[in-house]
Amino acid sequence: MADYQSAFQISASGMAVEKLRLDITTANLANMNSAAPSAAAAYQPLRVVSQARPLEFARQFGLALAGGGASVQAVVPQPVAPRLVYEPGHPYADAKGMVAYAGVNHTSEMLNLNAALRTYEANVAAFAAARSMAARTLELGGKQ
Amino acid sequence: MSTEAIAAIGAVEPSVAVGVPQLANQGAVAAPGFADWVAHEAAQVNASLAVAENDVRRLATGQVQNLHEVMIHLEEAKLSFQLLAQVRNRVLEAYQEVMRMQV
Repeated sequence: MADYQSAFQISASGMAVEKLRLDITTANLANMNSAAPSAAAAYQPLRVVSQARPLEFARQFGLALAGGGASVQAVVPQPVAPRLVYEPGHPYADAKGMVAYAGVNHTSEMLNLNAALRTYEANVAAFAAARSMAARTLELGGKQ
Repeated sequence: MSTEAIAAIGAVEPSVAVGVPQLANQGAVAAPGFADWVAHEAAQVNASLAVAENDVRRLATGQVQNLHEVMIHLEEAKLSFQLLAQVRNRVLEAYQEVMRMQV
């Protein structure tokens, strides 16, 4: 079963990355209406930067790709301007009566959410394929 | 003609007599190796089952960071146990085949 563990681990790394992407998107959506005392202090939407895990040269031509997969390189803030709303009565309103809200792009966050979900599903499908391949192998020579 | 036939049998006999002990020797040498292998594999399966059980316990107590690792460990434990069961089935099948042999 050791040769299938590499496929499982690669799928697991993809799932971990997509799970973090979901967490970050959820955080962005949760802070969509968070106000801040100044434009500089407004919540900045975050973005996950993932990267292929480097494979060793010898392993690229071998059968076992253990150590491959994806990994999170960084979670970086997106350089977007805060959303300024005119609300004179707001405790965080500045001299002109403007309040700085987080500049979260609702549409792109929903798209990120869907993309993360679909990619996670694809990783689950790849895992299921590896698992059923292993299970089929165990049926070799058995009574049909 | 009949004496020639008997002589022919005699010529064949030594090679058969030599062949059987060789097979028996090979079996005697290989048997402990296979038993060791089975014991080793059983220990590994037991270890992966223990890992899966520990994961489930940690999941129940809320100490798990990622759910998919638990599920993957469960699947790995299941597959390794199925491998052990299949090996056992094949060995038992071979044993029964031998026992069914007309002597």
